Formats: sequence, C-alpha cells, structure tokens
Amino acid sequence: MARRPILGLFRDANAAADAGDALKGAGISENDYDFLTDSPYPEGAFGEREEKHRIYVFPFIGALLGLTSGILLTSMTQFAYPLVTGGKPILSLPPMAVVTYEGTMLGAILFTVLGIMFESRLPKPKLGLYDTRITEGFIGVLVNAEEDQHNQVQELMTQAGAVEVKREN
Amino acid sequence: MAEHSNGRSPAGMWVFPQADQITAQVMERTTRRCKPHTIALVVAALLAALGVVGFLFRVAADGLDNYNAWGYYMAAFSFVFMVTSGAPLATAAFRFTKSHWRRPLSRVAELFAVVGVLNLLLFIPMVIVLPAIENPTFVPGMEGEMAARRAIWLGSSGVPFGAPALWDILGLVALAVTSMAILWLSLMPDLAQSRDRVSGFRRTIYGLLAGSWHGTKRQWIQHKAGMMLLGGFYFMMVVFVHFLIVSDFAMSLIPGWKDSILPPLYTLIAFQNALGLLLVILFILRKWGGYQEYIGISLFWSASKILLGLTLLWTYHLFAFFITFWYGRLEVEESILRYLMFESYAPVFWANVIFSFFVPFFILLWNPVRKTAWGPALAGLSALVGGFLFSIRIFVGSFNAVDFKEFPGELYSLGLTRARIQDAVIPDLWDIFMVVGIIGAAALVYLAAAKLFPVMSIWEVKEGAMYQRMGKLFRGEYMILAKPE
Amino acid sequence: MQEGRILTATEVNRDLLRSILDTPRWFWPVVMALGLVVLAAAIVIGVMINRGLGITNLNRPVVWGFFITNFVFWIGISHAGVMLSAILRLAKAEWRRPATRAAEVLTIFSLMTAMTMPIIHTGRPWRIMYWAFPYDFARGIWPNIRTPLIWDPSAILTYLTSSSLFVLIALIPDFAVLRDRTTGISHQVYSMLSLGWQGNPRQWKLQIISGVLLSALILPVFVSVHSIVSWDFGMAMAVKSWHSTIFAPYFVVGAVHSGVSAVAFVLILLRKAYGWQAYIRHEHIDALGRLLVVVATGWFYFFSMEVIFGIYGREADEIAVRTLQFIQWPVSAWTMVFVITTYFIPVSIWLSRYCRRNLWIMSFACISVNIGMWLERFLIIVPGLANRQVFTFSWNMYSPSIPEIIIISATFALVAMFMLLFSRAIPLVPLYDIKEGDILKTEIQIGRRAVPAVYRED
Repeated sequence: MARRPILGLFRDANAAADAGDALKGAGISENDYDFLTDSPYPEGAFGEREEKHRIYVFPFIGALLGLTSGILLTSMTQFAYPLVTGGKPILSLPPMAVVTYEGTMLGAILFTVLGIMFESRLPKPKLGLYDTRITEGFIGVLVNAEEDQHNQVQELMTQAGAVEVKREN
Repeated sequence: MAEHSNGRSPAGMWVFPQADQITAQVMERTTRRCKPHTIALVVAALLAALGVVGFLFRVAADGLDNYNAWGYYMAAFSFVFMVTSGAPLATAAFRFTKSHWRRPLSRVAELFAVVGVLNLLLFIPMVIVLPAIENPTFVPGMEGEMAARRAIWLGSSGVPFGAPALWDILGLVALAVTSMAILWLSLMPDLAQSRDRVSGFRRTIYGLLAGSWHGTKRQWIQHKAGMMLLGGFYFMMVVFVHFLIVSDFAMSLIPGWKDSILPPLYTLIAFQNALGLLLVILFILRKWGGYQEYIGISLFWSASKILLGLTLLWTYHLFAFFITFWYGRLEVEESILRYLMFESYAPVFWANVIFSFFVPFFILLWNPVRKTAWGPALAGLSALVGGFLFSIRIFVGSFNAVDFKEFPGELYSLGLTRARIQDAVIPDLWDIFMVVGIIGAAALVYLAAAKLFPVMSIWEVKEGAMYQRMGKLFRGEYMILAKPE
Repeated sequence: MQEGRILTATEVNRDLLRSILDTPRWFWPVVMALGLVVLAAAIVIGVMINRGLGITNLNRPVVWGFFITNFVFWIGISHAGVMLSAILRLAKAEWRRPATRAAEVLTIFSLMTAMTMPIIHTGRPWRIMYWAFPYDFARGIWPNIRTPLIWDPSAILTYLTSSSLFVLIALIPDFAVLRDRTTGISHQVYSMLSLGWQGNPRQWKLQIISGVLLSALILPVFVSVHSIVSWDFGMAMAVKSWHSTIFAPYFVVGAVHSGVSAVAFVLILLRKAYGWQAYIRHEHIDALGRLLVVVATGWFYFFSMEVIFGIYGREADEIAVRTLQFIQWPVSAWTMVFVITTYFIPVSIWLSRYCRRNLWIMSFACISVNIGMWLERFLIIVPGLANRQVFTFSWNMYSPSIPEIIIISATFALVAMFMLLFSRAIPLVPLYDIKEGDILKTEIQIGRRAVPAVYRED
C-alpha cells in the first residue's frame, strides 16, 4: 500500500508536541512526521528529530574556488598586459590582494546560498498537503504514513487536540 | 551547584552556582593555602629581582642619556601596559552591553588595575631616556634637519610645557586612578559581606575598603551609576593614553613616520591581548583553581567571538597601513616598510602576524573549538605571544631607527632614508633580564592581589544566578536570560 | 528591555502586510512625485551625455565634485544594512528584529544608487565596460587590477550580490505568508518566490543558520567595501590630505554612523506611514540611539586621528589643505557645520533618554548626521583637489552647477521611490522574526517583580 500524507492542524504548540509524542508512541518513525510552523520555534521544542546537515562545508568550497579564480584573474590580466608600474614587478602581490579577497568572499557567499537551498531542499516544485492557516499561527503536523494507518493517526491527532485533520483528495 | 547543557552544547556550557553558597565558597578558595600559587609568586618575585639586576647593569653600561639601549625595556613595558590597560576595559565594556556571561570575568579583569601602579613606576625611566623634541643642535639654515622632530606636541610657539613626559605620566596616572576606582567600587559589596569570614590583615583591609556599605537600594543604584560612569571615562582615557604612548615612544622616533592608523592598531592589539590573557587566566582558574562551577563554557564561547573580531580588525588595520605605504612609495615609506616589516625586523614581523592573526584565526574559526575552554585560551595565548612580538617590532624598532650616539641629528631629519636603514637589534643578557623582570613584576603584583582579594566578583555572580536559569519551552530545555532593564 | 504586548500571528500578518495588501491613498501620488524628480534627472543626464561634462562645474584641478561626494555618501548609507542585521544578529540582540529587513533593503537601493554616480560621472558611461570587466578577449585590453578604481566595482558588486541574496533568502518564509494571503496573479508570483516553503523544522533550522552564517560572511565584505572606496583616495600620493593610513577604518566608521542614522530615520517614517507602532517601538529607536552614541564617538576618534596626523607631518602643502579646510572662509564655515551636525548636535541629543524616545527629535538628529556626513565627504574630496598650495599652476575652487544639483537631488528621490515601491511588494518588517521574538519572550519572577526574559538556544 502507498504511503500518503495526512496533516493535523493544532492551535496550540503544546498540543502539537503531544501529538508528536503520541505518534512516536504509536510506532511511527521520527522521520515520517514533521511540524509545520509559521516561525522558527527553538530546536527541540516539539521533541522532533534532530536535523543533520553539512551547510558548513559549502562556504569553504566556495571560498577555495573564489580564491583560485581571484588569483587566476588578477595574475593573468597582469601578465596579459605587462605594463611596469612604479618600478614594481609585473606580478606583485599587494594589488592582487583586494580583488582576490572579494573573489574569495563572493565564492563563499554564493556557495553558502546554494548550500542553504540544497540543504533545506528548496525549491520544492509541489507544495503537497498544506493549509494556509499554518501561516496564521496554527501548527501543522504532517505525517507520512501507510494508508491503513491513517485512521489511527487521525485518532491520535484528534485526541491530542487537533482542530482539523486533512487528507489528500 | 548545577551544570547545564542541552543536546546541542557541550557539558558545562552553563553553570549556575548556588546563590547562598557563593560568598562562602569564594572566600574559602581565596583564603586557603595553595601551593602552586605560592610557587608562582616566588618565581615571579625571582624574575622581578632579575629585572632589577638587568636594569642596574643597563644603567651602568649605557646610562640614561642614550635611548637606543632601552628598546627592549620599552617593548616589555608596552606589553605589560597593553595587557593591564586593556583588561579593566573588558569589564566595563561587557557591563555596558549587559552581557550575563561576563560575570565570572569581571573581577579577573579588574584586578589588573593594581598593576597600573607598577606601570607608572616602570614608565619613569622611559620618560627620562626619551630624547628632547626640540633639536638641541639645530641652527637656522641647517640642511636636512628640523628644529623639532615630528611629534603630536607642537603648538604654534614650539613645544608646550612639560611635553611629552609630564602629560604622558598624567595620562598613566589617570588610568591607574580610574581603574583603581573601578576595582574599589566593584570590590566594596564583596568585601562588606565577606569581612566577617576572614581574619588577620585581610580583615583590617576589607573593613577599611568596604567602608559603610550596607547594600541599601540607594547604594546599589549609586554603585551601578558609578561603575557606568567610571567605565565610560576609562574607555575614553585608555584609547587616548594608547595614542599618547604609541605616538611619543614609537612613531615620533622614526624620522618621517606619519601613520595615522598606528594608534588604533595599537589599541586593537592591546584589547586583543588583554582579552587573550583573561581567557588564559579563566582557563587556569576553571581547570586548576577550583572555579569550575563558576566559569561555564558559554563564557569562552561568547568571549571567543569578540576575540575573533578583534583579531580580524587588527589584521585589517595592519593591511590598511601596509597597502597605503606600499602604494605611496615615497622613499621614507619604503624605508619604513623595509625596516619594520620586510628587512630588518622581517622575522619578528612574520612571527607577529602568525601569532596575532593566523593561529588565533584558524583556531577560532571552528565553532566546536569555540565551544571549549582550551580553544579560546590557546588562541588567547597565541595572541599574547603575537602582542609581545608586536611590541618588540614597534618599540625596539623605533628606539633603534637612528644611531643616536653617532648621528643624533638624524632623529630630527625629514625622513628615514634607504641607505640608513638599521639592522635589527638582538637582545643582550641585560635586555633579557629586564624583559622577564618586567613581566615577572607584573605577574607578582597581580598574583598578590589575587591572593588578597576574591578573584570572583561575588555580587555579580550572585546577580547573574538570579537572572539566568534553565527553563522548558514545550518539549525542549533552554537557557532563560532575564534583562531587568 | 521589552515593551509592548505579545501579538498573535494573525495580528502580525494583518499589520505587517498592510503595506502590500491594501495600498494607502497617499502611495501612488508620492511615488509619482518622486518619479518626476527622477525623470528630470534622467533628462539632465541625457543632456550631459550629449553635451559632455562641460555642463558641470568640474574643472582642473577639481575633477571630482558632487558626483563622487554623493557616491561616497550613498555607499556610506548602504553600510547600515549589514551593520545592523549582521552585527546585531551575531550579538543576539533582541531589539534588532523589526529593523533588519528595512536596513538590508536600504542597503541594496542605496548601493545601486551609489553605483550610478561614478558611471554618470565618467560622462561616457558605456566606456566603463572596457575597463571594469575582463571581457575584451579580442583586443587584449584587460582591467588594470592595480588601481583602486577597479577594486571598487569588484567590492561593490560582491556586496550588492551578497546583500541581495541575503535579503532574498530571508524573504522566502515571508513570501510563503503572502502566498497564503493572496489570490490570482500575485498568488502565483508569491508561490513562485516562496519556492514551495512549508515551514518544517529543517527549513527553519537552515533559515536561522543562513542568517548567522551569511551575516558572518557579509561582515568582512562590508568592511572591505568602504575601505576600498577610501583607498580610491588614500592610494594617491598626488593629492595632499588623502594619503593617510587611517582612511579605511575612518570611512567605514563614518559610513556606519550615517547609515545607522538613516535606518533609524527610515524606521520612524515606516512606523508613521504604515501604522506599525506596535512593532517599531520606542525601545527600538532608543536602542539605536544608544548604539549611535558609541558609533559617533568612535567616528570622532578616527576623525581626530586623521586631522592630528594630517598636521603632524608639518608638510607645507598638507598644512595648506588643512588651512583651507579649517581656517579659510567659506570652507571653514562648512567644516564647522559638518563637525557640529555630525557629532555635537546628535550626540548631545542621544545622551538624553527623553530625546531618544521622541521621534521628532530623533528624526532631526538623524537628518543632522546625514547632512554632516555628506559635507564630510565633500570636505575631504574638494579642498584636497583644489590644490591651494605652493608651487602649483592650477589653483581652483569648485561650486556645483544646476545640472549637478538636480542629479544629486534625484538620487534621494530614487532611493525613496525604490523603497516605497518595494514596500508595496515585500514586508519591510520580517514577519517570522517578529513572531519568533514573541515565542521566545518569557518572564522570570524575582520577588514581587516579573523581569522580562528570553529563551536562548545557545
């Protein structure tokens, strides 16, 4: 049988957390339910699973790439137009520093942005099961469960205090 | 006593000492005999004695009329001065920002005020050896020399009265007095509540210093306002005195060195060093001093971000100096770059950059390392080494930029010429004695003060225990910070 | 310090989306008026391209005048965004919440406006392409990376790219709110912009990390931008008083000073225009005022160093510039106005709690700073170039022409217009940041008093 989403809406964060506990108690894996909120609740506020990510790798890769391209750009343009200025060598490091630095930072920032997109799995072409009341302060508990479990999940969420439980049409 | 952390932070991230036991615990730790502390005191005293020996031999060998020989003395003085003048500021600044994590750090920093008096004593020989601003051999029409060397002290009718010696000393006096006032004010509540727990000379001193402190509401309000005012005043003073010292004793001694960024550069490395030393001391106190339940990792974590910021700012100022001179490419600029950075003092310069920038930067870059006690302390130690090397480069360099015995007129010339770049000065035995002696003397004074007074700010830690606790929000446990205003 | 009550999500949505979902009556007329000023300037620029730079009063030796002054000024304003949102975010200052977005958006638009200035100033804007970008493979002409005039575009473009991305990333959750509140075409646009945002813990976690991480990465860029602008002047030996080692930090602090003042003023305007009294509260303006006392005093320190060490060298030609700046009428009068309006008037205002909490007085102080900072840039650029020194054959002063004044005024209209138009499309106060602040608020009971407190994750 297929796994399909089911969404419970809660007015109260405590109730949502209760629902989470109940789901865990009913043997639903932590990876199969999510809490949808309209603002960042502190981590662990719902007793949810801890999210692993590798975002910190991205800026380093970006910085390295940016640094390389900065050095290449600055050194190659100097060699390509070898005009002696002020008796300094053609390839002198201090004037390269600034452009290289900007390149490094730009690379780091661009990769960080890409990393954030990638790690938060955005863009998401299809929104899926959702309710606009979530951005009104309601808390959604989105469960991904086998279809035969849906009634049980609905029961659990209603017991925990769900205002409404939605299924995909 | 309770140590706290949640899943995302290391053990001992937050510590909340039991408010009703703080006075007893801190006083017990202050008054008990501690062998390593005694040994450290003795070693520091021995070093200080070596310093006196070195000083006497230096006076005997070179006298006080040729400043060339005193470069290392000045460098060591500058190093101690940077640390001790910057440290009390850490208290004032973080009190201004109302950061709760500063609480265990405050007294450790304020105690450096006591070293301020030593600074004053150490400074006197430097005032004597500093050559006059007016050129003694000047006759009008003389070529290549000026009537007075470049200095910040020139008015429309020559050098003002007492400049620079009197004014620099006054600056140091103001610093010492202000920081002592901060220390006294901050000690007052602690001494008042602990004077009954101590005996002997401590009791007498505590009683005298605590005055009529009862801890009334009115007293607390005045206490707080006083701390704020003194802190603000100290901040202004310290930046100003750094400007005086570094322009009189460094910039103005290298002919033609006009460098408006040197004062902020000096101030920044002073703050970096001060914070670095504080982190080292706090690490020691936490690890071996028995203050583990007072000093949480969160202090190191928060302070390390400031340390990282100061490190980056210092490097940025250094680059701004370098790139301007490099592009300017006047002969004097080129000579100064060669002298202080790339030829004479090149090894010291690169070591300075490595210890002041690269090592702390690459340590503090890592968030997991910032969330330990040893990481920030190690970075602080490296910053201290870097700051010491910086002082050597700047002050030994400045004190020996011209050969004053052979060519005194050069000090008053328009600029350092390429042909006259001096070699770096290697310290002789007396220099080494003086350097270790000055550092030892500073350590001696500080260690003695830490024996006499509690090294933890009791009232501040107690206040902190009131405003911080762990609390639950839904399913998670988090830190709760209260800001009463 | 916390004032104001905790608001429900519905209230936050209703209030902060007001600027988008129902347009006030004054909106389009004001935008039109600003647009007319911009249009006038566009015409003048057209004439200038046609006739040449001769219609300005730029001359030899004063080759840089109002345009470059204005360029530095707007770059300065653009420093507010990162200063506020990055530093305060890293410092975990709670009062940053309503101020960040407006500051960042102001950064973007003032940066864009600033960029137009040197382009207009060249007189033949299309030629900038030749020397700013490494693209001319056929003729073998490359940008000369040894000149600060090339460092400038590289830094500004980096800064513009990164701050735009910073704003966009932080906007995704707010676009989702808009997606849920709109219909028709705007719903489709906001759906696209919100990239399918659901608001699950993973997305939020990365959103928070991105705020901190990007702040930390943009901070070094922000410092570099104005430093490099200062090096446009500082690297040059030819003009006395420019070649000073302190220029970089001096310019940066000055930029922060004028930028934060500008943000405070913009916040006051937003509060008034959209009725956001519950969000942009007196405590926020008060905190900005206190921050500004520190920034202003830091600026004053760097300013003093710059002047003291200008005179320190006792070089005749430098003394000549300083005499022009400080003693000779009428420039000395401008200097007087500059120092008083930049430091003494505003700081004495900010020292009083009453004044910090009076929006009229605060607005006055913030405008005063910006008048002063504009003059500061003028007084750095023009007296140095005027060359009133010994042994010069060209010796001139500069006063702006009418076309220059029109173009300069239009830059202010341009930024205002962009800000208004933008506020029509995006919420200038971040919704989720406000909501997060309300979730984290709590109290600690000490004796009889409930002390306001916040939950902290680390």
